Amino acid sequence: MDVQEAYLRDIVWPANYNEIPKEIFNRQDLYQAEIARIFRGPEWHPVAHESEVPNPGDFKTCNLADVPLLVIRGDDGKVRVFFNACSHRSTQIEVKPSGNRKEFECPYHRWLFNSEGELVGCPNQREFIPGFEKKDYPLAQPRQESVGGLLFVTLSPDTESLDDFLQEAKGSLMEVMAGDGRLKLIGYHRVRYLTNWKAYSDNDGYHPPLLHQAFTMLNWQGGEGRQYATTGRGHYCIETKLTLPQPTNLIRDTSVIHFRDEGRPKSSSVLALFPMLVASNYLNVISIRFATPVAIDEVEVTYAYFAHEDDDEDMVLHRIRQSSNAIGPSGLISMEDASVFHRVQIGNRAPGNAIFQKGVADPSRLGFEFRQNDESANLPHWEYYRAAMGFRRTAA
Amino acid sequence: MTRLTLDELAQLDELQTAYISALDGKKMRSWLDTFDEDPAASYICISRNDVENGLRIAMMLDDCRDRLIDRCTFVDDIWAGTFQDYRTRHFVQRVHASRRDDGQIEMTSNFSVIFTPDDTGLPQQLAAGTYEDVIRMEDGACRFLSRKAVTDNAVMPRYLVFPL
Repeated sequence: MDVQEAYLRDIVWPANYNEIPKEIFNRQDLYQAEIARIFRGPEWHPVAHESEVPNPGDFKTCNLADVPLLVIRGDDGKVRVFFNACSHRSTQIEVKPSGNRKEFECPYHRWLFNSEGELVGCPNQREFIPGFEKKDYPLAQPRQESVGGLLFVTLSPDTESLDDFLQEAKGSLMEVMAGDGRLKLIGYHRVRYLTNWKAYSDNDGYHPPLLHQAFTMLNWQGGEGRQYATTGRGHYCIETKLTLPQPTNLIRDTSVIHFRDEGRPKSSSVLALFPMLVASNYLNVISIRFATPVAIDEVEVTYAYFAHEDDDEDMVLHRIRQSSNAIGPSGLISMEDASVFHRVQIGNRAPGNAIFQKGVADPSRLGFEFRQNDESANLPHWEYYRAAMGFRRTAA
Repeated sequence: MTRLTLDELAQLDELQTAYISALDGKKMRSWLDTFDEDPAASYICISRNDVENGLRIAMMLDDCRDRLIDRCTFVDDIWAGTFQDYRTRHFVQRVHASRRDDGQIEMTSNFSVIFTPDDTGLPQQLAAGTYEDVIRMEDGACRFLSRKAVTDNAVMPRYLVFPL
C-alpha cells in the first residue's frame, strides 16, 4: 500500500452514520488526497458571480485550493474563468484581487492577452517553433457552467452536468440569489479561519441557534421551515419563514436586524453545497461565501454580498449597512461562528469520533428530510465524502 | 488648510493615546468616549482594496453614534463569553494633520496592530493600514467626528471582535 493510501489503512470509519472519525481533520496525507480527489477531481466549485465583474475588462482573481484562477468579463460581455497562468511558461498573469484592464500582459516574455483570453501579441514570434500561431495559445480554461449568474468550475472531464450535480439544490440556490440571480455586488469580507476545510463546511451552513447569544438576548425565535439534503452530494438547505425579533432596547440602531419588504415571500434560506459553498439569504442580506482550503488547518473565505438589480438606492444602502454589521466574520449574529471553527479544529486533535445527536432517530440509516434545527442534515454530506475518499464503513 | 500649533498637535496625540489605551485595555466605553457626541459620529473599518474599487461593505460600519454605542453592547454584552479572547497592541504614527477651512481637523496616521490570542499565546500581526480621521477640536475638547481604519490587508487573519 503506498503513502497516498495509508490513511485508508489507519483510519477506522465507524459503522454508525452519525459518527465521524476525528483523525480525518488532521492527516496530511489525507489532505493531499482530498485536494486531488475533491478540489481537482469530479466536483463543481463556485468561483464568482457574474455581477462581481459587471463591465468589460473587469476581473477578479481567486484560488481553487492551490490552483490560481482569473475571472474576466470579455469585451463580448461573456464572463470566462481562466487559469491565472500564461500559456507560454505559466507565469502568473494577474496579481491584483480585482480591477479592470483592457489587456492582460505577462511580465516575463510580454505575451499579451485580450479580455476574452486570446493571445494578441508576443515578441520575437519569428524565432518560435515552426508553424506557431497565436490562435493556438489562448489562456487555458477549466470547464465552466453557471446557474443564475453563479459560475462554477471543475478540473475534471468526468464531472456530470452542473444541473445533475446540484439536483434539488439548484432551486434553493436561485432562491438565495433573490429568485432570479439578477444581483449587484456591494462588497466583501475576506477572512481566514484556522480550521480544516471539512470543519468549516460542516459548521458554517448548519449550527444550532444556541450558539448565537443575540437570538437569546433579543428574544428572537426561528420560524417554521424545512431542511433537506440532496441524495447525490448531500448538499443541504434550511428554508424557514423569516421571523423578526420583538422591539428591543438592547440595541439603539435596529436597522441592523430590520427586514425591508422585497416583494417576495418573507423567508430565509441557508444553503450548503458540497464541498465548501455556503450561501444565505437572511433578513435583507444576500451572501455567497466563496471558500477554499489554504492548508490542512486553514481556509480562506470571501463573503461576497449583493443587492438586487431592481433595488433603489435606499435599499442598496440598507443592504450595505446590514450586511456589514449583521452577518459576517464580525457580525452581530455571526461572529461566534468563527470562534467555533477554530475551536472545533483544536478539539478534533483529540482521539475518537465526533458524534452527531440532534435529529438522529436511527444511527444505522441515512435520511434526507429533517426538522429545521436537526444537525443530522450534515450526514448525507459526510456519507458522500466517505465514499468519495474510499473509506469503508465498519460492519455493524 | 492651516498648520496646527504645538499645543494642538499635543491634543491630537492625547486623543490618539486615549484611543489606543482604550482598545488595548479592552475598555469599550473609553473607546466610545474618544468620539464626538454628534449623532453622525462614525467609525468604519474597511479594506483598502474595497475602497479603491468603490465598494462600501465594511468589516465594521458604525456610521452613526447609535451604532458606536451598539458596538460597545456587541462586544461587552452580546458576544461576552463566545469568542476566543485576544489582546491587541496598537502602534500608531501620525503622518499628517491640518485644520480644514470648515474648522475641523483632518489627520492621517499609519497603524500596525499586533494581537496575542489567549489560546495560543503567540503574538501575530492582525492588521496594518491608515486611520483617516476628522476631528472636532473646540473649547478644550478634542474628539473624533469620524475615524476610518483602512486596512492594507485585503484578508483578515482572523475574525475581528474589537475595532482596530
